[in-house]
Amino acid sequence: MIKHHHVAPTKPKRVVILGATGFVARDLARHLASLGIETLAVGSARVNLLEPESAAKLKDLVGPEDALVITSALTPEKGKDVRTFMKNLSMLQHVCALFEQANCAHVVYLSSDAVYDDAMALVRETTPRTGLGLYGLMHAVREEMLRFAVSKSQTPLCIVRPCAIYGAGDPHNSYGPNRFMRTACKDRKITLFGNGEERRDHIYIRDVSRLLAMCLERLTEGAVNAATGEAVSFYDLAQRIIRLCPHKVELECLPRATPITHRHFDVTLRLKEFPAFQCTKLESGLAETFSELIRVR
Amino acid sequence: MIGFVGLSHLGIVYSLATAAKGLEVLGFDHASGLCDQLNRGEFPIAEPGLDELYQSHKARIRFSGDAAELGRCDLIFVSLDVPTDTANRSDLEPLERLMDTVAGRIAPGATVVILCQVPPGFTRSLKTALLARGVEWAGRLFYQVETLIFGNAIERALRPERFIIGCADPKATLPGAYAEWLKAFGCPLLPMRYESAELAKIAINLFLVSTVSTTNALSEVCERIGADWSEVAPALRLDRRIGPHAYLAPGLGIAGGNLERDLVTVRNLAAEHGAEAGIVEAWLLDSRYRRDWALRKVQEGVLSQQDDAILAIWGLAYKPNTHSTKNSPALGLIEALPHVAKVAHDPLVRLDPAAYPRLQLVNSALDACRGADALLVMTPWAEFAKIAPARIKDYMKGRELIDPFGGLDQAACIAAGFAYHRLGARSM
Repeated sequence: MIKHHHVAPTKPKRVVILGATGFVARDLARHLASLGIETLAVGSARVNLLEPESAAKLKDLVGPEDALVITSALTPEKGKDVRTFMKNLSMLQHVCALFEQANCAHVVYLSSDAVYDDAMALVRETTPRTGLGLYGLMHAVREEMLRFAVSKSQTPLCIVRPCAIYGAGDPHNSYGPNRFMRTACKDRKITLFGNGEERRDHIYIRDVSRLLAMCLERLTEGAVNAATGEAVSFYDLAQRIIRLCPHKVELECLPRATPITHRHFDVTLRLKEFPAFQCTKLESGLAETFSELIRVR
Repeated sequence: MIGFVGLSHLGIVYSLATAAKGLEVLGFDHASGLCDQLNRGEFPIAEPGLDELYQSHKARIRFSGDAAELGRCDLIFVSLDVPTDTANRSDLEPLERLMDTVAGRIAPGATVVILCQVPPGFTRSLKTALLARGVEWAGRLFYQVETLIFGNAIERALRPERFIIGCADPKATLPGAYAEWLKAFGCPLLPMRYESAELAKIAINLFLVSTVSTTNALSEVCERIGADWSEVAPALRLDRRIGPHAYLAPGLGIAGGNLERDLVTVRNLAAEHGAEAGIVEAWLLDSRYRRDWALRKVQEGVLSQQDDAILAIWGLAYKPNTHSTKNSPALGLIEALPHVAKVAHDPLVRLDPAAYPRLQLVNSALDACRGADALLVMTPWAEFAKIAPARIKDYMKGRELIDPFGGLDQAACIAAGFAYHRLGARSM
């Protein structure tokens, strides 16, 4: 269930973002600045959450009127093993330690849709969070760690679970829009597994930032998925990207290693709770991303 | 004399049906104002044929707020509507209080028949509880399954399919007055133990839910793949295992309160007694999802394109021919769009617009359409189908027509230039 503590959007006094160099944190900081919201982006160079001392450092940085946005995580590219899993939990353990000695006005945790199991049904906020592998399980455990940590102080905790995020600033190279665009430009080729039948929901980074900002301004408590509600196949996605390219792009199909699974979202809760929020159409989001990538190159 | 205690929708309809069978009827309710109103032939409920039935048989029926009069009845039906809370759980306290009042006033040997929505185990415990509270009553107690359908209640009360009778001992002969009443309706009798009858009522409702949920799931698949459920359903009706009367019309989830109550009752019974009822959870989930179908459509087709859209809403009741709005999809939609301007019309339902931000209520369907960007037909009242889509178009600014139940003439809507959306088929 979602609860908005502010009926009308109210700018938070200051937003402290952990994971400053990450894809979402950078875009969120940009968006919050455009809204005139004071932001402090904290990266691992300043506070390394893997170190136990980070809790004390956070205590010095985060004030009682601040909203704290936690985006820090070691993503699957950094490792999918138990060690990475435990490191991610350690990072959150140190964040949670902050709440033993101090408090803040609002906590927003950037989780992932990987917390949900791989069932055939539509994914919604109430879908069981058994986790897709260790990465999904890690986010599910972190959510519970935070829930426990803030329960005593009753600090409102908002959990945002995005589906696959795309956008020009994405440093990751996971299977999907960003990789497809890069290889389409660089190698003039997009590689699909099988025939790219799997359908997935892809959300534009700008939309994730806007939704996070809405959660901050409404002092939202509860969990919400950041998804568009429109899933497309990887084949369809590749074709859309090919249409954006000024040159010919080859579509290569490799044998698939895993069975076909689809993931569709029921976004009714988001529609009800954030009625003013509209997702960028995939076509437009891809075109913007592509233009930015070309510009950067 | 046959008594009816608790003049709910069911109580009013059944007391009239009993009078129509030539029997003398006394209706009792604590609300004496309601009794006065009923004695004047003014009914707080809407049912096709209700007024005519009353006018034809009013000589044999009287309503009273004096419980002492029940002492003249040798057969008493308890027809109080058991309320539910927001989680669809029954609140049995009003029924228990009513029984305390009534049991002390009735003739010592009178037969009492419970028609109310009670959970399995309630009827057997009731008499024990009454006796424990010192009520002197030696008559027999029965539970009779009633499956009232709003909008078709008179027909079903006059010509029931069968009577399912919960008894302390199913093999014992039924008391004279009750047997005579049952005989007047000329339908099969199914005596069984209390618990079986109480569960039979719930079972009927859950089978309906299973059909409705299956229909809804398949109709959504139709919308996605370009099939049309209205073409599929007739094929199912001709299958003997499904049948011509199966609930195969797609809808906006389970509403009205009674089916939801039974789903919650079974879910809780299963949890308490260790039975697997995950399917009930799935039905509840499906119902919540279907309820918001129109919201998703209007978001996609209208609200994602313009911030200042005006929505026309036809129908507020949870289904036609009733004033009930319990779990109504129309109200769910209105509550989900507090920031959007809405103009609504319902032939029967009167809401307090102040309770709903940016909602205006008007007295005619076409007035609701004036300047609207989209029309949502949330309750398929027959009178809406009589309005030509070309006329609707003249009143509206936009061209989105969301008609989940397909109550309007689809071809005429498309010919009039509307983008037309209904359950079970791809939008056109």
